[in-house]
Amino acid sequence: MSTATFPHPPALGRAATGINRKPPPFQYPEEIKADFLKTRDIVFQDGRRVTAAEVWDFMTIEAPKRFPNAFSQSTNFGGRLSQDVRLFSSLKRGYLSLTLKDRLAESRKKGVPIVLVQGGQSYEPYFAAGAIPLRPGVIIGWARGQQEGLNLRQNDVRGNDILEHGRRTITIEACNQIAAHAAVAEGIVDVDLIAPYLCLRCSDMAYLVETHRNKQKEHPLHLVDHPISRNNPEGGVDYVAEGLHKLVEQIDKLTGRKTTDEQLRAAIRQRNRSHQLSRKLVHLLWQADVLPLNGSDLRAASVQFDSAGDTTASFGVLEELYDEVTERIKNGVRGQGLSERPKRLFVSGSCVGANSAQVEDQGAVVVGHDDGWSQICVDVQEEGDPYKNLARSILSFPYELSTEARAKWTAEQVRQSRADGILFMYNWGCNYQTGVARMLADAVKKETGLPTLTLEVGELARSEGVEQTANRVESFIEML
Amino acid sequence: MSLSTLPKFKAAVAARPAELEQARKNGRKVVGWLNYNTPEEIIHALGLIPVQLGIGGDDKLVDLGGSFISTKNCVYVRETVGLFAENKNPLVALSDIIAVDATCLQIYRVAELIEYYFKRDVVILDVPKNPTTSEGRTYFQKEVAAFARVLGEKTGTKLGTAALQKSIDLYREIRATVQEIYRYQAVATPVITWREVRDVIHARYSLDPVLYLQLVKELRDELHVLAGATPYLEDSPEVRIMISGSILPPGDNKLIQLIESNGGRIVVDDTWSGLVPFLYVDVKAPTPEAVAEAYLERVPHGALPHLDLKSDRRLKLQHELVKEYHVDGVIYHTLRYCDPYTFKANETKELLKQIKIPLLEIHTEYAGSDIEAIRTRAEAFIELLRNRRKKFGQQKPKAAAVA
Repeated sequence: MSTATFPHPPALGRAATGINRKPPPFQYPEEIKADFLKTRDIVFQDGRRVTAAEVWDFMTIEAPKRFPNAFSQSTNFGGRLSQDVRLFSSLKRGYLSLTLKDRLAESRKKGVPIVLVQGGQSYEPYFAAGAIPLRPGVIIGWARGQQEGLNLRQNDVRGNDILEHGRRTITIEACNQIAAHAAVAEGIVDVDLIAPYLCLRCSDMAYLVETHRNKQKEHPLHLVDHPISRNNPEGGVDYVAEGLHKLVEQIDKLTGRKTTDEQLRAAIRQRNRSHQLSRKLVHLLWQADVLPLNGSDLRAASVQFDSAGDTTASFGVLEELYDEVTERIKNGVRGQGLSERPKRLFVSGSCVGANSAQVEDQGAVVVGHDDGWSQICVDVQEEGDPYKNLARSILSFPYELSTEARAKWTAEQVRQSRADGILFMYNWGCNYQTGVARMLADAVKKETGLPTLTLEVGELARSEGVEQTANRVESFIEML
Repeated sequence: MSLSTLPKFKAAVAARPAELEQARKNGRKVVGWLNYNTPEEIIHALGLIPVQLGIGGDDKLVDLGGSFISTKNCVYVRETVGLFAENKNPLVALSDIIAVDATCLQIYRVAELIEYYFKRDVVILDVPKNPTTSEGRTYFQKEVAAFARVLGEKTGTKLGTAALQKSIDLYREIRATVQEIYRYQAVATPVITWREVRDVIHARYSLDPVLYLQLVKELRDELHVLAGATPYLEDSPEVRIMISGSILPPGDNKLIQLIESNGGRIVVDDTWSGLVPFLYVDVKAPTPEAVAEAYLERVPHGALPHLDLKSDRRLKLQHELVKEYHVDGVIYHTLRYCDPYTFKANETKELLKQIKIPLLEIHTEYAGSDIEAIRTRAEAFIELLRNRRKKFGQQKPKAAAVA
C-alpha cells in the first residue's frame, strides 16, 4: 500500500524547536476550516446540538484565550491537543474536554449531581441515575481550569499547589489523585457525592475517600468494593451488585428520582455499543500496515472518553473517528508526527502513559495501554438483573484479575498490537501497581519474549521535571 | 524481679521448629498465615497447625524482597517477600500452605509474588472493605466458609462442629488470658514490662495453641501471686507512652528501644501486632459464618476504610486506651509506604489534640540510617511530656478530658 500524506503542519518536537526555542501556541489552520465545517454536529445526552461552526469558533477564538495552556505545543506537555489537524474528530474531542467546565456548571444548575469516581472503570450506574461521574484526573483538570487565562507553566504551578496542599494535609506518599481530593476538600471545585468503585489497580482511593470524613464540608461517601473472591466468585458478584444498588440509591437521594432497572439496562446497552465500536476501531488500527493515528489519538480510541462527561457526545465523536480511520486506512494515510516504520510500544500500568510526542520524536509510537482498554474489552450482559450483570463484568476486567491472569491477557494484547517492547509504568505512591511491576513485566516477557522497561513516574499531569522519564524512554526506544 | 514462666516461652519457641518438622513427618500439615483476619480457629479445627508468619527489622531480608517487589512497598511487605526468597525462617520453610487474608492489599500482592516466584501453595481469604455493611458481612461469611472448604480440600480434612467449638473455646481462653496479662505491665510498679508482654504475644506466632494457653495461664497465675489478682491501672511517675500505627512485628525493635532509652515507658499499644487482635472476639456458634461475624466485630485494621468518623471503633478504642492506661502521649509509628496508617496520621493527631494528648509521628523503615534523627525527636517529645507532667502534676490535662 502506498503512503499518501495530508498537509500536516510541521512537527514541532524537540528536534524541530530546539531546546531554547519556545514553540508558538498551537492554532488550527484556516485552510482546514471549510472541510471541518462540513462535519457532523455534536449531539448531547439532553438532545442539545452544537454545530461544527460553533466548535470551530470555540476552538479557534474562545478557547485559546480562556485556556492558553491547552494550546501549548511543548513536547513536555503530555496532554496537549492532537496536532493531527485533519483528524476532525480530535478537534471535537478537544472541544468536549475544554467545554466540560461550562457544561458542568450548567448541569449543576439543573440539579445534575457530580460524583467523584475511580478511573479505569465503567460508569453506567452513575449515568443511568442521572449523575455525571468524574474520575480524579478529570477533576484535577476541572480544578485547574477554574482559573482561566493561564499559560502552561502557570497552569502547572497551580496544579502543583493543589497537589502539594493535599500532600501536606494527608501524606506525601499519596499518588497524584490526592490533588482531586484536595480540590474537593478545599472547595476549589465541588461534587455532590464521593462514590468510587474500589479496584486492585489503586491503593489510594479507599484511604483518600476516608479522609473526607473529617472535612468541614460533609460530602456523602460511598465505596463499591472490589472483592478478590478467588474461592467464592458468586459471593463476590452478590456483594458488588448490592454495592451498586446502594450507589444508585445514593444518587437517587440527590436527584429525588428512582432509577429503574430499564434505565440501567439502557446505559449498559449504550456502553456495550460504544465499547464494541472502540474494540473494532483499535483492532483495525493494530492491523493497519500504515498506522493512521499517532499515539495520543490512538489512546483516545482505546479508552472510554470520559472527560466529555456525556456518553452520547463521546460516542458520536468515536463514530466520527471510526469513519476517519477507515478512510485513512483505505488511503494509506499515516498519523501526524509518525516516522515511516515506528517502533511500537505497549504501555502497562495505572493512570500513566508515555508522552506520545516525545516517543514519536524518537521514532516510536505507543500502540496500546492495558489500563482503560481492559474495561473496554469486557461487555456487560444486557438481559437479566443489570446489577448482577454489571458486577460480573466489573469483576472480570482483565486488569483487575490476579496478576498472572492479567499478564496473560496483557501478553495477548501485546501480540495483537504487534508491539516491539513493553513499558510498565506506575505512578509515585501507587503501592498496588509497584507491588506487581516486576512480576507483571517478567510474566509478559516470558509469554512474548519482548524487552520490558519498568518505570516509576512522578510527574503525572506536570510539564516540568519530566526529563528523567523522557531519557529512560528514549534509551529504551534506542535499544529497540 | 524475674518471672519464672517467661523463660519457658523462650524455650518453647526455640523447640518449635523441631516439633513442626516431626509433626509434618507424622503427616500433619502446617498452615502459615499472614495479615490480620485469618481465623486461626478454623485452621486449628481442621486439624492443621496454624503458625503466624511475618517478622520485621531485618534490612538484609528487606533488600532481598525488594528485588521481587518494589522499593515503594512498605518494608514489612518487602521483608516478608525476602523471607520467602530466602526460605530459611523455620515457620516459612515448614509451612505447607500459606493462608493470606487480603486485609492489607499490599500483603495480597505478596501472596501473588510467592505463588509466582516461589511456587508456594497459597489460599486467599478476602476481607471486605465495607465490613460494616450487611452485604460486606454476608460476603465475609461466605469467604470464611469457602476458606474452610478450600483448606479442607487441599489437606483432605473436613470442618466438624465439635472440633470447631473446641477450637473456639481454646482461642477464647487464650485471648482472655492475654488481655489479663497485658494489664499487669501497665500498673504503677509492674513485675512485667510491656516489652516482655509483647514477647509473650509474639510467642503465639509459632506455639501450639494448647501449649500456649497452658503457658499464658501459668504466667497469669504467677502474676496473680506476685501482683495480686486485680491489676489496678493508675498513673505513675514515668512518661507513659502509647504506641500506635503501623505493624511492629517480632524483630522490629528500633523505635521501642529509642523510646525506652530516652526514659519513655510504653504502657499500651493499639497495633495489629500487639494487643488489638485479642480484643472483642466473641464467636457465638461453631460455624464459619459465626467465626466471620466475630472477626468483623473486632477492632478493624486500618486498611479497612471506615467512612463515618463518629462510629470508628479503631479511634474509639484508641481514646479509651489512652484514658484507661493513663497515657501522656502517643507515638504514632508509620512505616514508609504503609498507606493504611500513614493516611490517617494527621487525622489521628487532630483528634487526640482535642483531648489534649500530644502525638508524635515517626515515619521510618528498618534501616539504621535514621536512628539518630528518631532519637532526637523521641527525646524531645518525651522531654516535652515530662515538662508537661511537672507543670500540671496530677492535674495533667489528659484522662479527665477524654470523652
